[in-house]
Amino acid sequence: MRLPEQNHLRQFLLFVFALLIPCFALWSFFSAALVTPVIGLAHLILSNWFPDIVNVVYQEGADAILMTRLDQVNGQLVPTDVADEGLGFKANTRIVSYSIPFYAALHFATEKKEYLGKFFWGVLVLYPFILLGLVSVLLKDLMVNFGNTFLQQPGVLMPGADTIAITYQLNVLLIPTLVPILIWASQNRQSPLLRGVLGSIAAPADNASP
Amino acid sequence: MLRFMLVFLLVLICLFTLEMQSSVQQAVIEPFTGLLARISAALIMPFDSTVLAYGKVLQFGPGGFAVSIEAGCNGVEATIVLIAAVLAFPASWRARLAAIVLGFLAVQALNIVRIISLFYIGNWNLDIFSWVHLYLWPALIMLDVLIVFIVYLRYLSRHAPGRQHAIA
Repeated sequence: MRLPEQNHLRQFLLFVFALLIPCFALWSFFSAALVTPVIGLAHLILSNWFPDIVNVVYQEGADAILMTRLDQVNGQLVPTDVADEGLGFKANTRIVSYSIPFYAALHFATEKKEYLGKFFWGVLVLYPFILLGLVSVLLKDLMVNFGNTFLQQPGVLMPGADTIAITYQLNVLLIPTLVPILIWASQNRQSPLLRGVLGSIAAPADNASP
Repeated sequence: MLRFMLVFLLVLICLFTLEMQSSVQQAVIEPFTGLLARISAALIMPFDSTVLAYGKVLQFGPGGFAVSIEAGCNGVEATIVLIAAVLAFPASWRARLAAIVLGFLAVQALNIVRIISLFYIGNWNLDIFSWVHLYLWPALIMLDVLIVFIVYLRYLSRHAPGRQHAIA
């Protein structure tokens, strides 16, 4: 049943709040499976980008474990050839993948004709951002723990320390909640909710000065 | 839409980078975060006199459970998103300013609810605290920003010249 225009926002809010907890609960249950491809790709990227430092990135539940080729002996970082002797870091992938349940709650709370197809494409668009988020978390861990040994590798194209820090903050603090909203807004421009607010201001807004 | 996205992303990245500067953190963000801790403590104290607030820390009495309000927990990033969206959407400067001020208050009001709720949840169960703190509340705060922005767009649509002509 279609609601009057002024009720679309209320209906959307009711459904979002009703769906938020179930979506997050489902995601908590499946989050390890959902990040498997992301961790595999993070391994490919980092082990090829920093072959002298990154040994492997593998999955342990919903965490990504980064094992390095460096060990600490008497306070000094030294290369190690033994795979299990390198220093390792654990990264919680959920801090970048909770964009999925948030997007799901927004998506399924919005009145539309077709749900599953658009949801699939929306999640597909989210994945590169989750990958970027995990890579930025691991880059931050490498920078914080190895300092100049990591930042000043000869022959390796390195982002600056400030770039790594800001990218990390951006990917942890903003991207997981902002990108789902942008995808949702882009997919639902023609939904009764957004058409109701955008439709009547689109024409004057196009002519207005910024 | 393309113009909106470009302006939105430009303003967002500029403000976010500015916020991350250590001078801005020291001069603006940390005092503001401390103010949030004091406001939260002031709201809790009539009901729970054991609560202490110092710097950006809230604590259940000496030696009790404490939370420190850090970057990402002070609602500044959510406010930056709102400011970027409002500035990117064509409207009068008066409407934009009103949206930013009222939106800031709406975001911070919910953020204080977040701080107080996390303070009590953390004292009760740390696993649930982590889950709610890291995943659920950030989504709720950004949802608050989205709602504020949609309400702002509804306000603009009701006061758009084109709509008034159509009604007339």
